[in-house]
This record gives sequence, structure tokens and C-alpha cells, in this order.
Amino acid sequence: VSEHLGDDAELYPLGMLDDDAARSVERHIATCSSCATRVAQAQSVASSLAAGLPSREPSPALERRLRDITTTQRAQRTRNRFDVGWAFAAVLVLALLAFGWQTVVLRERIGRQDLALATLVHSHFNHVSMTPAAGNSIEAKILYARNGSWIYILVDKPNAPLRAVAQTPAGTMNLGTLERSGDVATLMRHPRVRVSSVTLVRGDATVASAVLVYGR
Amino acid sequence: MDGLVDDFVARRPSGLEQAYALWSGVLYGVARHAIADAAGAEDCVHDALLRVWRSQNRFEGNREMLKAYLVACVRNESMAVLRSRSRRDAREAKAARLSIVPEADMPVADPIEARRLHNALARLPEEQRRALELAYYGNKTHVEIAEELSVPLGTIKSRIAMAMRKLHADLAEPKEVSS
Repeated sequence: VSEHLGDDAELYPLGMLDDDAARSVERHIATCSSCATRVAQAQSVASSLAAGLPSREPSPALERRLRDITTTQRAQRTRNRFDVGWAFAAVLVLALLAFGWQTVVLRERIGRQDLALATLVHSHFNHVSMTPAAGNSIEAKILYARNGSWIYILVDKPNAPLRAVAQTPAGTMNLGTLERSGDVATLMRHPRVRVSSVTLVRGDATVASAVLVYGR
Repeated sequence: MDGLVDDFVARRPSGLEQAYALWSGVLYGVARHAIADAAGAEDCVHDALLRVWRSQNRFEGNREMLKAYLVACVRNESMAVLRSRSRRDAREAKAARLSIVPEADMPVADPIEARRLHNALARLPEEQRRALELAYYGNKTHVEIAEELSVPLGTIKSRIAMAMRKLHADLAEPKEVSS
């Protein structure tokens, strides 16, 4: 604050300053506590001067006009609370849906993995490491039933979604996309025909392949 | 803590409603003293309160200070309207309303406060009291007062400001107890 108010501090509450000067006083006292105190003291005197004016009552219309302001404000606040309530409810519902979806997906994945493990335990199976295609360093393995009833593909740390394609006596069979779980992607399938070879594909490019040999 | 002040500062609707219920008489009286027509005076009270209510004002103080603040807002609004009207109309209106210091039998908003004020005004130096009365009760501008009293403009401003400071010191004294 460069300079304190002069006589304007006392003239302001009397309504004697023009609009520019009055706004200047208001800006100044917003940042100057000593001048704000002087203006407050002058307002107190002006209020005492007003006590000497004839008493008059405004018409009921003025009260109605002011009631309109407060009624509108109350309605706005109620609407805001309503909006906030709805927003909270919407977030809660979305959170529950997301949690529910995650739970279902997780349960399904665990179920599939449990099924794969149970299948392995109760089967005689072979396994084969997949051979990476040129320029790929993927580590993948296929476990498969000797009777050809199931095939389980595991890939360690795949850096992109992978799709498995099988060659069978009936022709080419799309086994589907491997599911990522942590650092591993897996796929359990029960093809109705023996799979003779499996190819892992990223996009349209082959990243690994393996030939499946049956018998002991 | 004062619930009214708290509500007003927090801009709760009840703050404005309570303030109006308590002080509508004095606020309208202030406006009506400057603006001759009732509708115009009510507009001044309405517009002043609306401006205060919608502004991000940082009022700090007690109930009496809030009343004084609102009185000053209505007074400023009324005088701004008065200034915006034609000088000729304003002079005619002011001449019709001019009333220096309420008479003893005039009904006032606060008779006890009016009596204290009357006595305090009487204790002011004559030139200061006259300048203040012409400014507040006469609704006259600095220029008009300077012309009427044949005194330089700066002197008029100083006299009015000095009168306000003396009145504050006088009225801040403990209130007289009437016998």
C-alpha cells in the first residue's frame, strides 16, 4: 500500500465521493487494515447520523423482492446438493459395477486356471518349447494331452497381445488370444481334433512355433 | 459468535433476511432521505443489498458494524442515484427535503441514539457542524457547500472529515444514562 487514504476515509460512508473515488477507497481498504479501521469508524458515525433521520417503513413489495433473492439462492443450494448427491450415487454405482466386473473376470480367470491345473493333474501329457521366429526372443511352452484332448500354451513376459493358431488334420484352427495374468500369458483349449503344430502370432507376424508329437 | 453476522458473512439466505428484518426501517429511511420517490428509494435499498450480497465482500466485525456497513452501502447507492439524476431535478428535490438535524418532536428511527447524536453535534465547532449537516442531512456536494459557505473546496472536505473523527471519539464514549 503506497499511500493511506486522506479525508476520503471519512467522506466515503457519507456517500460524498463519486463512483471512481468510492471504488478506489474500496480497493484500498481491501489491503490496508489501518484505513479499513478508519472507514469502519466513519461508517459507525454515519450510522449514528442515520439514527437522526425520520423513521420510515418500506412497502411489502421490497421485502418480497429481497425474498426472491433468498428463495432463488435456497433453490440453487438445494439443486446443488441434489446434484452432488446424484454425482456421488453415480460414482458409487460405477465403482460397484467396476468392482463387480473385476470380481467376475478374476473369478473366471482363476476358474480357468484351476481347470487347467486340474486337467494337468489328471492327464498324461507331453510338453514342448516353442521356437522363436527370426528376430524374436520369446519364451513359450506348450503342454498338451497325449490323447490330444487339451492343449495349454504358456508365454513368459509377452510384450504384446498374442494369438494362437493351430494346424490340425481338419485344417487351420484359430485357438484365440492368450490371456495375460501378471508376467505370464496363457491359453487353455480343448480342440476336438489333434493339433499337429501351433504358431503364435502378434498382429500378422509369426513370433514362435512348435510341432506337437504324440505318443510316449 | 453472532448468528446473524455469521449467516451474513457465509451468505446464508437467513443472513440477508434477518438483516432486513432488523434494519429495513433505517436503511429505507437513509435512501428515502436522498431519493424523493418511494419506488426509487426502495430500488436503492434493493440494489445496495443485492450488490453487497453478490459481492465477495470480506466483512469483519460485530452486529453494529454490519448495520453501519449496510447503512453506508445504501447511502452510497442513494447518493450515486441522486448524482445521476439531472442537477436541476436533484436541487429541487433536495430543497424540498432539506432538513438540518431532526427536531426534538420528529419521529426518528432510534430516539436514544438521535438524542446522543444531537448532543454530540452540538459540541462540534460551528463551521464543522454546519458543513457536516449540509453534506449529510442536506445531501449537498462539496462544491455546493463550498459555494454556500464561501469557503475553499479543500477546506470543506477537511471540516467534514474532522467533524466525523470528533463525532466518532465523542460517540464512542460510554452512553449517557437518562434519569
